[in-house]
Amino acid sequence: MIEFLRRGAEAGPQRPAVVTHEQTVSYGELLAMAERAATGLAALGAERIALADHEAAPVVAMMAAAASTGVEVCLLPPDEAEQVLDLVVRFDHPVVVTDRDDLPASALPDGVRRVGLGELLATTAEVTVRELPARRPHLVLTTGTTGAPRGVRHDWGRLVRTTAHVRPAADERWLLAFGLHQFAGLQVLLHVFAAGATLVAPAPRRPREGLAAMRALAVTHASATPTYWRFLLAELRADGGPVPSLRQITLGGEAIPGPLLGELAATFPDTPVSQVYAASEFGSTGSMRDRRAGLSTAVLERGDDADVALKVVDGELWIRSRTGMVGYYGEPDVDAEEWRPTGDLVAVEDGRLVFLGRSSEIINVGGVKVHPLVVEERIGAVAGVDVARVYGRRNPMTGQIVAVEVVASAGADTTAIDAAIRAACADLPSASRPRSIRFVDEVSTTGSKIVRREAP
Amino acid sequence: MQDRVEQIVREFVARVKPEAGEVAVETPLYADGVGLDSLEAAELSAVLEDEFGTDPFQGETMPETLSDIVSFYATA
Repeated sequence: MIEFLRRGAEAGPQRPAVVTHEQTVSYGELLAMAERAATGLAALGAERIALADHEAAPVVAMMAAAASTGVEVCLLPPDEAEQVLDLVVRFDHPVVVTDRDDLPASALPDGVRRVGLGELLATTAEVTVRELPARRPHLVLTTGTTGAPRGVRHDWGRLVRTTAHVRPAADERWLLAFGLHQFAGLQVLLHVFAAGATLVAPAPRRPREGLAAMRALAVTHASATPTYWRFLLAELRADGGPVPSLRQITLGGEAIPGPLLGELAATFPDTPVSQVYAASEFGSTGSMRDRRAGLSTAVLERGDDADVALKVVDGELWIRSRTGMVGYYGEPDVDAEEWRPTGDLVAVEDGRLVFLGRSSEIINVGGVKVHPLVVEERIGAVAGVDVARVYGRRNPMTGQIVAVEVVASAGADTTAIDAAIRAACADLPSASRPRSIRFVDEVSTTGSKIVRREAP
Repeated sequence: MQDRVEQIVREFVARVKPEAGEVAVETPLYADGVGLDSLEAAELSAVLEDEFGTDPFQGETMPETLSDIVSFYATA
């Protein structure tokens, strides 16, 4: 990472590296910040730190510093203090770097040291080019959409290797719609700085602020989850403002419904749309650019030489990745040559791998397995539905029934939408039809992904 | 309360089994009566839970008629 900043600063120290509504940080400034952070980290003497801050430039500087010193940094999600402290304990962090007022030293568990981020970044030091250590660990926490978050151990060497194909593109301005604590955010970060491009980082990272940043901060490229794009399209329809001029739209992080690809094509007719299939554990498998839902079955024929290979076993996608994680936190390293299940259920249709949902999200209706995405896709295509969340609702008769929460478009007639949803699902198998339809102001999401579990 | 329970159940039946016609309080809800199948009964239980916070299908004895459902809420 720091090598990217160095390259960018050499090419043009004044070029913008990180842009927010409040400030622009140049490559020269970001590199200097990262060098100070590296000196501060080295002086700290810790092998691992947890970082609880979300201002983009300092976080990027800290990650670059960590990557250059071999100190493992784990960026914690922007949660309430109580949840952050739970993660500090769960992942045995000895040091928390933060300037958050609600995380004073007195609130930290016994033996955990607090270091101010501003203090660390203010370290005075001469700029020195350090030799990169052989082991450069990085810890990413999963979003926990299907259970408790897990720690996924990566190595900066492997992560940087995935950017070998990235061409210089100093004129690109990428929206940061993911958190940098998420693996998808890390991928955007690596791509942007490998290309010598600019990271546009609005705060908070909601679709409304993302849309505003696209318009005001000249965003050219944007990568986000399908759920994020659905909300952004709803914002666009609601405010009636100009459609941002984008040169690239990327979707990833969860299954991509076909109707959404159609909506994006209609709204951004001249913008290429790319779909990425990636996960914290196995990294990115590449992208599809043909505006069709799912992956081409050609991905199943990559052969042994490919860094990432895929196969289908009993309806589930399995993967072998040489650029993926080193292992889970607290567990031995995984074998990079080993095939592992992804948890993603797929069907092969017309030369495509169509995603049916996560194996953990299957709804069991009286012994019949229902894939929520199939139902969600039907409902999402109904006029007046902005977003739908399909999940299994507990039921005394059948164990579970298919339930849906719907965010309706502003001013829409919910009675008519209810009837249209039932009509749209009338030809589905009986167990797959939604038996509970509720209209809500917002659906449950984690890390801009829909949570398809019933609330406890 | 009784009127509201009867209204909710009759509206539900009118939507999912319009051919059943008017539901009398002692008409069996299943088989040769209204003819609700297990999934429709599951849906009715969710509708009642949404409306009243509890549903009579969670008890040990499944309601057989509209009258049973009314009795459940009368004694709850």
